[in-house]
Amino acid sequence: MSALDTPNAPASTPAARLPHWLKRVLGFLAILGPGLIAANAGNDAGGILTYASAGAQFGCRTLFLMVLITVALIVVQEMCSRLGAYTGEGLGALIREQFPLRSGASAMVLLFVANAGLTVSEFAGVGASMEIFGVSRYIAVPLALIAIWAVTVLGSYSRAERVFLVMGLVFLAYPVSAFLGHPHTGAVLSNLLWPHFLHSKAFLLLSVALIGTTITPYMQFYLTSAVVDKGVTPKSYGGERIDTINGAILSDVISVFIIIATAAAIGGTGPLSSAAQAASALRPVAGAAAEQLFAVGLLGASLLAASVVPLSTAYAIAETAGVERSLSRKLREAPFFYGLFSAQLAIGAAVALLPGNAVELVVNAQVLNGFITPVLLTYILILANRRSVLGDAANGPRFRALAAVCVAIVGALSAVVLLQTVVGWL
Amino acid sequence: MGFIRPTWWPGRERNPASAARLDAVAQLREERARRWRESAAADALQGSLISLAAVLGTEVRDSADELVGRLRDVVVHWSTAAAYPPATAIVVRSGRRDVLIGASWIEASAPASVRLRSAAAYARTVERRPGEVALAHDVLDRQVVDKGGTQLVRPSDVYLAAVDGRIDLIGIEVGPRALLRRIGPGRLRRHVRPERVIDWATIRSFSPARPDEVRPHRHPSALAGQTGAVLELDVAAAELRELGASDIEAALRSADEKEGDGSS
Repeated sequence: MSALDTPNAPASTPAARLPHWLKRVLGFLAILGPGLIAANAGNDAGGILTYASAGAQFGCRTLFLMVLITVALIVVQEMCSRLGAYTGEGLGALIREQFPLRSGASAMVLLFVANAGLTVSEFAGVGASMEIFGVSRYIAVPLALIAIWAVTVLGSYSRAERVFLVMGLVFLAYPVSAFLGHPHTGAVLSNLLWPHFLHSKAFLLLSVALIGTTITPYMQFYLTSAVVDKGVTPKSYGGERIDTINGAILSDVISVFIIIATAAAIGGTGPLSSAAQAASALRPVAGAAAEQLFAVGLLGASLLAASVVPLSTAYAIAETAGVERSLSRKLREAPFFYGLFSAQLAIGAAVALLPGNAVELVVNAQVLNGFITPVLLTYILILANRRSVLGDAANGPRFRALAAVCVAIVGALSAVVLLQTVVGWL
Repeated sequence: MGFIRPTWWPGRERNPASAARLDAVAQLREERARRWRESAAADALQGSLISLAAVLGTEVRDSADELVGRLRDVVVHWSTAAAYPPATAIVVRSGRRDVLIGASWIEASAPASVRLRSAAAYARTVERRPGEVALAHDVLDRQVVDKGGTQLVRPSDVYLAAVDGRIDLIGIEVGPRALLRRIGPGRLRRHVRPERVIDWATIRSFSPARPDEVRPHRHPSALAGQTGAVLELDVAAAELRELGASDIEAALRSADEKEGDGSS
């Protein structure tokens, strides 16, 4: 069976009386899972800000880039879920077993720090979105913390997965916002099908930011571990593969709608600096409704990512250490795993509530993502190429070439943004 | 009544609270003495334990001090007959290929040195034989689970000991310090000090995580053992007793004596 084999039909419930279309819809919903959650978590608070900024600064010009990013995202996510399904091990475990201890350990430390920064920014997103509804962040953030902790720690994997999927539904607010903004259809289509890139430093940096926010390390760690935790095996991988590819496409369609919505409202006015500004930018076109929708979307995005980011840390580090790690275990059965998750969650919420510029300082930890992404993608590529790891499910020559090109481009661009931020180069 | 009966003398306490305190002090003293003994035993063991993590990648030379290659793996034969299975061969990266050199040709010394006894040794191509475990490939950094399947830890080192010409597998180190030893500077790696060691005798089985589902690709120089290989313990996590340094020393001494009896 090759890596790109036709997938098996998903196991559907025996419901012969249901109409055909409904059965198809239910069959489709049944396979939704880790792939969709991981990709949706990529549209987090920082992501929304970046997409909105792209729309405000360059209108629809970045749309073709989003098409290319989607291809790269599918390639990377597919490798991750295949690794999880065929080896039964998450990325943290595979890196410990297959690579030198030192490089693996440093990757884990970087992941921990970068994810800590991201968790803070997700909670800041929760606070910002609830303040649009007039709820103080000092009430909203602790409530969100308790809700996320309860769903994740007290339930099983399948219950947590269902809650995460429902949170993702909130993203449908963005297409609504986009249509309320009456975008120019012709311009949107031509930008989607043909590149309209600008030769400028600002455009390059924004492109890199778009890639960096769409293909992130925590998504790969979460996806691989969640596939393992869900119990996907090589036999049931077909359905998981559809979920992964669908998830990548759906989440990027939403990103595209965010860009279109902001481009229609305030395209060409310059870069944005805050989520609240992005929300108010929609006001002249769609009235107060657009702002509320934007806030709802931001809340769902932040809540989902605030669950997924600390989970990916906990999975990765517990796998590296080899201790019990599964959402289906009870708190007492996996103390290290849940302890890491709870600690990162609590620290993230606490720092997000600190007054002053603490948030901005920590959000700079996102720069670390630019450091890990190339390294991690290289690891994933090597692992997925190895026949000693995946047996016959290893990358074939054509997929290997495509994946290598994707990894090289994403890696190089991440390195560019890292250099730009750290050294002030460019 | 010129004689006043004393209310206290050594060994008999005035009230239960101070008796309990004395007990606690005695316990602390005992604990400290035990730790001191363990520490002394660990120091003594530094001269006899071979650390797999430290010895991997080191140069293997023959008796004429010619470089043979770099050590890639140590293979032990695992049977229920011996609690501490003996090494049967080493895998050496020689030039661009891996070769297997039988244990009869090699001598090892603590903490991290392996060399050949003679100037010439019989080397053969690497292949997996039943009952053989390649320690670096199948044990180091792999998943250890308990009797009930609970994931416990990954071994951060594997300890061997040179006993009467043989090299015996003693146990697996699961302590965090061994991990730091490997991450830190190279010279620290030779500073071997057992911390939390699981007796190899408690390991019941060794299996790939998904034996039927991942088909290995045949490659001539690849020792088998898939990703996700799992070491299963014979006991539940709660009953697991780790070997202290003094236990290891006692085990080594008894192995030495038994060997001495057998040969005389």
